[in-house]
Amino acid sequence: MKLFYFIHKELLLIKRDLHGLLLLFVMPSVFILIMTFALQNQYSSSSDSQIDFYLISHSNDELSQEFIDSLNNTANFKRILSDKSEAELRPAVAADQASFFVVLSDNFSVRLANNERVLTLETAPGTTPVMIELIQSQLLQKVSQLFIKQNLADLLGDDDSGGSFEPANFINTKSLYNSNLQPSSVQQNVPAWLLFSMFFIAIPLSTTLINERQQGTLARLKTMGASQLTLFLGKLIPYFAINLLQVIAMLLIGIFLVPAIGGDKLQLGNSYGGLILISVCASIAAVTYALLIAQLADTVEQATILSGVCNIIMAAIGGVMVPRFIMPETMQAISNYSPMAWGLEGFLDIFLRNGNAASVVTESCYLLIFALSMLLLSLFIAARKQIRSH
Amino acid sequence: MTKQTNLKRSTLISIKQLQHQYKGAEKPALNSISLDIQQGSVFGLLGPNGAGKTTLLSILSGLVKCAPNKVFINGQDLSKNTKRLKTFSIVPQEYAFYNRLSVIENLTFFAGALGIAREKIETQINSAATATGLLDRLTDKAENLSGGLKRRLNLAIGLLNQPTLLLLDEPTVGIDPHSRNFILETIKTLNEQGTTIIYTSHYMEEVEAICTDIAIIDDGSVLLKGPLDELLCTENNTLEIDLKEPLSQLQTEQLNQLSVTSDASLRATQQHLKFTLNTEAELLSVLTHFNKHLIKTTRIHYGIRNLEDLFLNLTSRSLRD
Repeated sequence: MKLFYFIHKELLLIKRDLHGLLLLFVMPSVFILIMTFALQNQYSSSSDSQIDFYLISHSNDELSQEFIDSLNNTANFKRILSDKSEAELRPAVAADQASFFVVLSDNFSVRLANNERVLTLETAPGTTPVMIELIQSQLLQKVSQLFIKQNLADLLGDDDSGGSFEPANFINTKSLYNSNLQPSSVQQNVPAWLLFSMFFIAIPLSTTLINERQQGTLARLKTMGASQLTLFLGKLIPYFAINLLQVIAMLLIGIFLVPAIGGDKLQLGNSYGGLILISVCASIAAVTYALLIAQLADTVEQATILSGVCNIIMAAIGGVMVPRFIMPETMQAISNYSPMAWGLEGFLDIFLRNGNAASVVTESCYLLIFALSMLLLSLFIAARKQIRSH
Repeated sequence: MTKQTNLKRSTLISIKQLQHQYKGAEKPALNSISLDIQQGSVFGLLGPNGAGKTTLLSILSGLVKCAPNKVFINGQDLSKNTKRLKTFSIVPQEYAFYNRLSVIENLTFFAGALGIAREKIETQINSAATATGLLDRLTDKAENLSGGLKRRLNLAIGLLNQPTLLLLDEPTVGIDPHSRNFILETIKTLNEQGTTIIYTSHYMEEVEAICTDIAIIDDGSVLLKGPLDELLCTENNTLEIDLKEPLSQLQTEQLNQLSVTSDASLRATQQHLKFTLNTEAELLSVLTHFNKHLIKTTRIHYGIRNLEDLFLNLTSRSLRD
């Protein structure tokens, strides 16, 4: 019964803490919206983003023209037409006004027949290595087609034999995510920033606990017979509830708000059980971590700095700020030690990989072990502080 | 003023050679303290900062554990009988409540934390709010209260469990005279209703006004203890008079004509006169003179020591140091 009053008091305090509420609900909402739209094209399979390029041809033969036509018709490649010279275009590409620059050599057909270099590819500073590889493979594919076509024509002695040479669509590409759905920016960003905000609960929780300690309220409650367990649970339960409200609010933003303003809709996957399990475990981890921060810090300023720095580090290595799959192997290995990574992988198991409750058991266990260690450390530090004050 | 003198009272708290040293501290906070606190008394605990007052209150409130057989409550060892603490209440020096909650929300929370049954909470809150004059401020947020009202809320929380022993740690620090008087009157009323009170304060006049017994502690040791009246009572023949306004030239001349002042036994500051008298007749002569010449006074002390002087003599430093 006592616990009810502690929980009620804490909820009243949270309700009246405008800054805390902004931190817990507005900050992640804004992050979700910004990052979802900022990274939308990086994830979308039906991307309407275009890879701009300049092209200069020093050859006027038929094959070079065929190559240019083929390149112009390549999906997502957009040629910027220009009357400028090669020397003038190069600085423009160097200034990232286009992603790449293709210069076709003179005597394109002859060079191709002689197996010589037929073009030069120059890339802009902002073009990523992955993108360069993609451009290279596209160009190579098109040159190879012309090469084969030319050689077949020579071999068969028939000028028209290669006229309809066009490779079939040999590869059938399917996503194993869902028959109709593709992973999207919203699928990555909603759970990522949701987890980030869940761990930010450390700031309001530690602020109230430190204020209680400094104002003598905690000591007063102890003289009234409040046990350490009641004091801890009186903090943990309300903030656990707030964490779950954060989960619901952020998921609703992904489902309704993001599509309403032009983004993809968040798909919750097929396992509500799994979603609840990973949300509950992530929340338990977040509130116990917050409790440890509150025990470690002596002042509100210390708690704010400590939790802020720890959160950002956990988020950076945990795949919140930079998706894990684009990290190098070493960073991915380091990432395995961030509770945010465990939570995020759990959410992605449900949202992207058609996972169920069983799929997130490992991540849930990691989070619970983390929570238990945070709780034990908090109790240990609280006991030590009490001994020191006796 | 309704000071209770040494009527037949039983001992509520008996402290026997209590020693306490904080971990890492160079010297003990309490050094072999022995005290008896009577049921129904207002016990003033005086001492400069760091004397050990708060440590003693912390032990009595159960916040700091004490060694066995050192503190006895109604004859029972405190270290073995913490249930007794449920009828004790401490009002700390800090505003130990929640600023973002209203008065009623604070009182409700602390009543719940005390484990007061739901059906009794309203009655207890009403009683505490009435005693502290907060009934018409129940819906005000604590952060919007003045310093005096915050002190009253701090006290009201301490009254929720209707304590038999109330520990007050500097309950009037930093408030206006009106609020201070209100709190002092409340404390006197509570005492009249049977609550034993242990009171620490830096204000000597408060202690003199409400305490029945005192102990002066310094460096963790008791320097002096006993009923306040007895400690202040002295065999000396000093008459001290505080004047409402400074003497006029004429009044000074008239006063100098008194036989008692002829042997340089009068020491006067602007509004404070001190006579060393030889006989009771001289006392009568001085008082008659004041009456005859309509000299207005605010305080007359004869044969009584001042608590501030007593304290200074014992500790060689001011209480506010």
